[in-house]
Amino acid sequence: MILTELRATADEFARATDWQPKPEGLCRGEVCVPAPGALSPDGMIDVAIAAQRLGMPLVHDTDHGVWALGSATLSGKSLSTAVAADPELKTFNGDSFKLSSLRGKKVILVAWSSY
Amino acid sequence: MPGWQALHNEIESLGATVVTVALDIDPALAKPWNDLVNPTHPSLVDTLHITNSLFGFTNIPMAAWIDEDGVLVRPAEGASIERSPLRDMEIPEGLPEQLNKMMHAVKAIPDDAEAYREAILDWVRNGSSSQFALTPDEVIARSQPRSDNEARATACFELGEYFHRQNNSDAAVQWWKEAHRLHPQNLTYKRQAWTLVTTPVGATEYDLMQGPNEVYDSNLVDEVTGDGGFGQFIIRPIL
Repeated sequence: MILTELRATADEFARATDWQPKPEGLCRGEVCVPAPGALSPDGMIDVAIAAQRLGMPLVHDTDHGVWALGSATLSGKSLSTAVAADPELKTFNGDSFKLSSLRGKKVILVAWSSY
Repeated sequence: MPGWQALHNEIESLGATVVTVALDIDPALAKPWNDLVNPTHPSLVDTLHITNSLFGFTNIPMAAWIDEDGVLVRPAEGASIERSPLRDMEIPEGLPEQLNKMMHAVKAIPDDAEAYREAILDWVRNGSSSQFALTPDEVIARSQPRSDNEARATACFELGEYFHRQNNSDAAVQWWKEAHRLHPQNLTYKRQAWTLVTTPVGATEYDLMQGPNEVYDSNLVDEVTGDGGFGQFIIRPIL
């Protein structure tokens, strides 16, 4: 997630990280992490607090004034829950596609590349 | 891709689907390969490599299995389903040295294709009673380690992608080098960056293999023709 300030709407944060703000805290699947102070009354996420709670490194490019938010390290593994992430991906036609649209089917998600 | 389309054709009537996702910063480079297959399964592009951080893809091909309820039953792991014809090809005499080394490196790639394909079919037919379907705890435990360095690498790679789109190549290269340093086992971070400095346009056979270049200290040829070979980057499925 690229940021020019350490605030993001809850929707932006959820789209980029798949962590959703809920009354229990920041949640993915069955995992919820208490994050007091991370969600403002105006619906904005304090990204520094959220990052600290989720073990996400914040990397700052001081020359250009941008940050990038790394992935969570809560479990010490690439997955902290078995609930599949649901990022917004694109088809080759540019249409949005969510894996959740395939609920009810078994999915083999395969990574490939042109290189 | 053709193999995955064939598998999709085989499993579609059984309530399963293949979804392919190209980890390509520029969809235009992947599209011709996609169009050759004309896939009928969902064929997606991940220009940010966000599936690296969310699923744990670090190389291609890799795959994760997701059940009908959206729960992973196998984490990201090496996912070949057909034996490469290169493996059985006689290496011709007189090839350039680096090409010769690369051919030997390719032939030495561990081959789990037949067993992995059979495992997919077993899961498609038998669901959670398949011996290859893991519990949620097993899925998490078998997912790859993620240290602070590896998590930091995801941020550095994204900064590189951001600056690449800003046409700020110097900044992009700086951050991609840092991503490579922090997570050296992530071959997609490396190959994505290398491919932007060794394009097929006017390439020699070395360029097509992402060989030595003037931008990065490392390159595919040197990394996979050394002691670790391609195998050092492959997360072999435990079947």
